[in-house]
Amino acid sequence: MVARPPTRGRGGGGGFRGGRGDGGGRGGRGGGRGGFGGRGGGSAMKRGGGRGGGRGGRGGGMKGGSKVVVEPHRHEGVFIAKGKEDALCTKNLVPGEAVYNEKRISVQNEDGTKVEYRVWNPFRSKLAAAILGGVDNIWIKPGARVLYLGAASGTTVSHVSDIVGPDGVVYAVEFSHRSGRDLVNMAKKRTNVIPIIEDARHPAKYRMLVGMVDVIFSDVAQPDQARILALNASFFLKAGGHFVISIKANCIDSTVPAEAVFAQEVKKLQADQFKPIEQVTLEPFERDHACVVGGYRMPKKQKPAA
Amino acid sequence: MSSLRNAIPRKAHKERAQPHSRRKFGLLEKHKDYVERARVYHQKEQTLQKLKEKAAFRNPDEFNFKMIKSKTVDGVHRPQSEANKYTKEELMLMKTQDIGYILQKLQTEKKKIEKLSSTLHCLENNSSNKHVYFAEDRDEAREIRAKVSASREDLTLEDLQLPKDIKRKIAASYRELENRKSRVKELEKIYTDMTMQKELQKKGRKRKLREDEIVCPTSRPVFKWRQERKR
Repeated sequence: MVARPPTRGRGGGGGFRGGRGDGGGRGGRGGGRGGFGGRGGGSAMKRGGGRGGGRGGRGGGMKGGSKVVVEPHRHEGVFIAKGKEDALCTKNLVPGEAVYNEKRISVQNEDGTKVEYRVWNPFRSKLAAAILGGVDNIWIKPGARVLYLGAASGTTVSHVSDIVGPDGVVYAVEFSHRSGRDLVNMAKKRTNVIPIIEDARHPAKYRMLVGMVDVIFSDVAQPDQARILALNASFFLKAGGHFVISIKANCIDSTVPAEAVFAQEVKKLQADQFKPIEQVTLEPFERDHACVVGGYRMPKKQKPAA
Repeated sequence: MSSLRNAIPRKAHKERAQPHSRRKFGLLEKHKDYVERARVYHQKEQTLQKLKEKAAFRNPDEFNFKMIKSKTVDGVHRPQSEANKYTKEELMLMKTQDIGYILQKLQTEKKKIEKLSSTLHCLENNSSNKHVYFAEDRDEAREIRAKVSASREDLTLEDLQLPKDIKRKIAASYRELENRKSRVKELEKIYTDMTMQKELQKKGRKRKLREDEIVCPTSRPVFKWRQERKR
């Protein structure tokens, strides 16, 4: 069964489920107004708390000087917000909407345009944990085409869709109908996400929906996840493309130490034409998890002597 | 005219005191005091009279359980004992009523920690995780090592120039998180203690383990319940 997002815009596709998506309406934070003194060069400023509206009907509040500095992270499309929070975030593709009740940070640029960012919780997202763990390259960048295996409710997918932006595409595969429902609802508002409610073990079933991709992100937590990744890569990943796989040691073999499980999985990947480049453990955020990043069918390196 | 009268100083009449010879009787009683004393006296008189009447008109067939449960010892009335006024269950409920409150506080603290830690990612301090690079041969390994150490230095040089108030805000947020975490630890300890108390008050034979019987050493007392066959 395949769920495609219905035609965009309101009214299309039989109503939006109320629930999680729409935070916007509530009063929320009072937020600061004014307080424009001493801005750091090149940094943007927070205004009005991002949740819209003040506490008591009249906008704003007496709290002055509440602001946030947002600056780009080493990885393209990822940002760091510093203020009351000290958080990783992505630029919201759909301003005014939160996907899983995460905090949103609205920032006003020098030229008066407003940009909204969403805080990316590393305790809920392995990709965010990997980024904070200091991974060198996630290969997911603006304009990239990404195949996301194990999308679940689409919390991380929404951030990936933020990163790739309107030019990129995220194919989100999830087997469970229940969490797939949330995924589809999320995808209704994000034009670059294509939800696929299908078993990732059988990529042939959704091969008509997915084109060639640059990156595969896999978070399936199955004992045969290396095989699943290899299968999907053989269908959709371009030669010289990249993969990011999150490995939960407990899910594969809970009897041996985590390090051994990671090594074993890396071996399996190497056997399937993958070339692992680096591996980070997601230590403060997840226990016994690792994220492996690498390439697929990489071109042979030229000998420096030649 | 009255103002004229007021102008002449008059003799101040002093209150009569107890004569010196009768000083042993205390302060001299005035009429006001007498009224009070008389009222109390008559009240007592009336009470006595009512009781006498009641005794006179007593029904000889009258019975209630207090008559046999309570008794007089040396002429002093001893009411029946209230030792078992509450049942065991009621007592346990009363003693452990705070447990729900503690649990509620614990849960709210945990929720708040979750909310805080979702926006506080410890970006500054390098975490305790492991970073492994895969290389095919020695040369590549050497190359990667050089690259990594260079990027490390870059990171240290990069140190962000943040406004002072933002730095202060971040520090305050982290402090709050730490405080809440320590509070949760305390609450958890209290909660386990209280649940232990509750379990100990229940039925079932149990005994406190000796030092040498405890498998994993703790500072807390450890109890062992006698195995009981359940139906």
